[in-house]
Amino acid sequence: MSIAETPDRRPLWPRVGRFLERYAIWLVLALLFVVAASLSEAFLRPVYIGNIVRQAAPVGIAAVGVTLVMILGGVDLSVGAVISLTAVLAAIVMNGEVANIPLAIGLCVVTGAAIGGVNGVLVAYNRISPFILTLGMAVVVTGITQIFSGGTARGIVSPGFREFFNFRIGGVLPVLAIALLFIAGLGIWLQRATSFGRSLFLIGSNPMTARLSGLPVERVTIAAYALSGVAGALAGLALLARSGVSSTFAGRGLEFDVLAAVVLGGTTFEGGRGGIGGTIAGVLVLVIAFNLVNILGLNFNAQLIVKGAIIIAASAAYVIVKRQQ
Amino acid sequence: MKKLLSLCAALALAATVWTPAGAQDETRVMIERQSAEMVDTSAFAHDGPITVGVSAGYLSNSWVVFALQHIRYEASLHDEIEDVLVTDAGFNPAKQVADIEDLISKGVDLLLYWPVDDKAIEAALKKAVDAGIPTINTGGGFVASDGVIASAYIDQWNLGEMVARRLFQDMGGEGKIFAMLPIAGTTAAVDQLAALEAVMEEYPGIELLSAEYGDWNRAKAKQITENLLQRHPQIDGVFSPAGQMSIGVAEAFDEAGRLGEVTMSPGDEYNGWMKWVAQHEQGGAVTFPTRVGQDALRIGLQMLRGEPVRRGTKIPSEYISPGAAGAYAELDRPDDWWASNLPDAWKPE
Amino acid sequence: MRERLTTLLGGRYGILALLAAMVLAAALAIPEFRTPSNIRNVIVQSAPLAILAVGQTVVIVAGLIDLSVGMLIGLIVVITSDVMAGQSVATPLGIAVALGLGAAVGAVNGGLNNLLRIHPLILTFGMLSVLQGAIFVYTDRSVGLTSPEFAWLANGDVAGLPASAILLVAFAALVAGLMYRTRFGSHVHATGGNVEHARRAGIATGRVEFWVFVLSGVSAGIAGILVAGRLGTGYPNAGAGYELDAIVAVVLGGTSLAGGRGSIVGTIAAVFVLGVTSNALNLLEVSSFVQILVKGLIVVGAILLNQPRRTVPA
Repeated sequence: MSIAETPDRRPLWPRVGRFLERYAIWLVLALLFVVAASLSEAFLRPVYIGNIVRQAAPVGIAAVGVTLVMILGGVDLSVGAVISLTAVLAAIVMNGEVANIPLAIGLCVVTGAAIGGVNGVLVAYNRISPFILTLGMAVVVTGITQIFSGGTARGIVSPGFREFFNFRIGGVLPVLAIALLFIAGLGIWLQRATSFGRSLFLIGSNPMTARLSGLPVERVTIAAYALSGVAGALAGLALLARSGVSSTFAGRGLEFDVLAAVVLGGTTFEGGRGGIGGTIAGVLVLVIAFNLVNILGLNFNAQLIVKGAIIIAASAAYVIVKRQQ
Repeated sequence: MKKLLSLCAALALAATVWTPAGAQDETRVMIERQSAEMVDTSAFAHDGPITVGVSAGYLSNSWVVFALQHIRYEASLHDEIEDVLVTDAGFNPAKQVADIEDLISKGVDLLLYWPVDDKAIEAALKKAVDAGIPTINTGGGFVASDGVIASAYIDQWNLGEMVARRLFQDMGGEGKIFAMLPIAGTTAAVDQLAALEAVMEEYPGIELLSAEYGDWNRAKAKQITENLLQRHPQIDGVFSPAGQMSIGVAEAFDEAGRLGEVTMSPGDEYNGWMKWVAQHEQGGAVTFPTRVGQDALRIGLQMLRGEPVRRGTKIPSEYISPGAAGAYAELDRPDDWWASNLPDAWKPE
Repeated sequence: MRERLTTLLGGRYGILALLAAMVLAAALAIPEFRTPSNIRNVIVQSAPLAILAVGQTVVIVAGLIDLSVGMLIGLIVVITSDVMAGQSVATPLGIAVALGLGAAVGAVNGGLNNLLRIHPLILTFGMLSVLQGAIFVYTDRSVGLTSPEFAWLANGDVAGLPASAILLVAFAALVAGLMYRTRFGSHVHATGGNVEHARRAGIATGRVEFWVFVLSGVSAGIAGILVAGRLGTGYPNAGAGYELDAIVAVVLGGTSLAGGRGSIVGTIAAVFVLGVTSNALNLLEVSSFVQILVKGLIVVGAILLNQPRRTVPA
């Protein structure tokens, strides 16, 4: 603040407003948690919390990748299909042998990267909407998965694979939950501390300027979508570990949960803003809301109503907070 | 507001689930009578090569895939069957209507089907019959309508009853249970729940905590069970006739460290469940035979020869005790597999 | 090569050319395809989606999107069937309920859109969840029966042509008139092109968006009547997936997701491209698993060939 400026009449509010905007979703999360804990003491038990984070793993891991793509200004709706494909692929390659696990994981990651890479190339070199393109890819990938699996859930998960990821450290924290936090941490590092991350934000907020200033827009785009594919593959492995299911439609519908979490967390469709931290908070909000509503004994279908209402309310709250500035 | 919402939800759910016991018995008696009727099929007599049409309401679970393989296997045993055409509606009833219309256009001589929803395709099936194509409901519930000439079905009520009786015996006649049912609204879900409630009247010591719908989905069944475990500190038994879901339920109990306090009901001959039963020596199975496909095709061939057939043919379920499960479990096959008598060449890949 | 193909297939006549080519190829290659009863089947099967997609075209031209229409159709099918209980006398009531419910939900979407100012994608996605839950709280199994008149509307003929096709043409003509010959239509185009500019030019964009959502709901109501007639009963999951198919058809037909311009004719042609594909693949006895793959490839291929020519990335 320079000498020439008059002192702010309300010095506190703009700072509070900025704070609110940056951490809005965390406040919502905290509030929701308090409400949940007061309604059911299950939420105060560490074992239950560990359970919740583990439940959030597949959606959360996939959401990390989609966040990167959305910062860029794009979107990836093929994650659900990728999750299904990698779950099936992993189970088939494992075929019940522990020795096959590294190969299965490696193959899935490569497949996810390849699908993401194709998405990225098509988006980068064409003038089409990533929304529709990735939706079309989702159908293609589902078809491939269906042909591969022949309609049944094929493959046998190796013994030890599921046990390892579901093992609770100290009786409380499942390994899968740690995996989620680790991947989220990796994503945040990528987003904040690398030039790749910076270019994501730059391209997202102003693609023209970014291109004119020499940023390798196409390469960054392809990389972002490939990473989203990899995240989808890891999410598929997480789903397999958690549920043991390797059927064609294992991941169906998850892409919209992922989208909801990302948007709740503050990353918007316009691009250029947001981040993985917010996304993780968004995922937790969704999972807690779902669990809360279930614990209260509501009909499983009434829960869908509440889930929808929460998504709308949380988004609206976020917008209202933004407008206070 | 939340209370109002849950009250409304509870009322709505209760209204759809409650049926007076007397009415249930009457329906069953009527079904027995109707299925015993003989149908005159001389109008469908057909010489020469036969093309069989199969309208699958869905092909996305292993049970129907096995049933379809049984149809194909049976078809291979008859020289006069030239071709088997299969359409998949992917759980979309409007698409199944379109699929049946397309099969009629293709000129099939016989139509086997399993529905997404019985009523939705009634009109389309009638069109097939009017075009001279006999129709057979394969593996669904018994249907008495103009569009369905015969049903080859598994009595879900009987299955549910056998499962419930076993469970209550194993539980010593009292305790708290919950039910894990398939997709809400299907004949399987409706009849299994009705049978459970009918048997419960003989066991006043049994309390039903809730009826859940796991949609034949192992992951969903597991998640629902995890939440139930949070809500209810004491659960003594689980009524789950579908082995696929039973595995998910059992896993949830296991991970919560509460497997010791619960009695699992018999499931079905789903391979994953058979492996679990062999390993844990409890539960057992009441079969849900996939060979209904073969039986349906044989009935269809009788129709095409003009021979009279029963309106409804029940394919019986058998009980497999936990001790015998070992013989049925195929350890080197995936969980999503069914015990059957199919020759190896005809098993799904 | 790609440029040549794009020029050939691009623009509003591209999708029509594609449709004509496909129909010709199918008629030549598949004998069962060219029978009058089969052609009629394809038309009747595609009509509900076509009506819904026409509504979605207006929504997308306005710069919005509506994901809730699929579940809305499901809700309408269930409630209408339950209310009519198979009685012919209840037909006018059934129609009123279908259209009223569609308009009401559309109004709620429109109202929330103006009030909350969140992205329509998120708003209607949340609404989709709410509607889905509402359907299953109402019933967990098929309820009710549609009246014979509904069945006739969906499946029957008027003077040799399918009634549903005539309904489609009438609705499309009405909407086209609205979009290209009224002031409201030009406001819709302006709002979709650039909402800031439109507002500065004095257009009440809030009101425009509200009525666009209502129109979307009404199109779901009409489509719902046809779907109910086709099924004959209130199947709870009847509408699942319709919204994505509609959006795919709109984009395939040449309308830009960025808003501001679109083609109703293109949308309808795209719906029939999808319908003919499904029909032809069934008649060719292509495995249902492969059909899914083919559908995805067609969507991706058509998008690539049908790109907007603007240099600004969409």
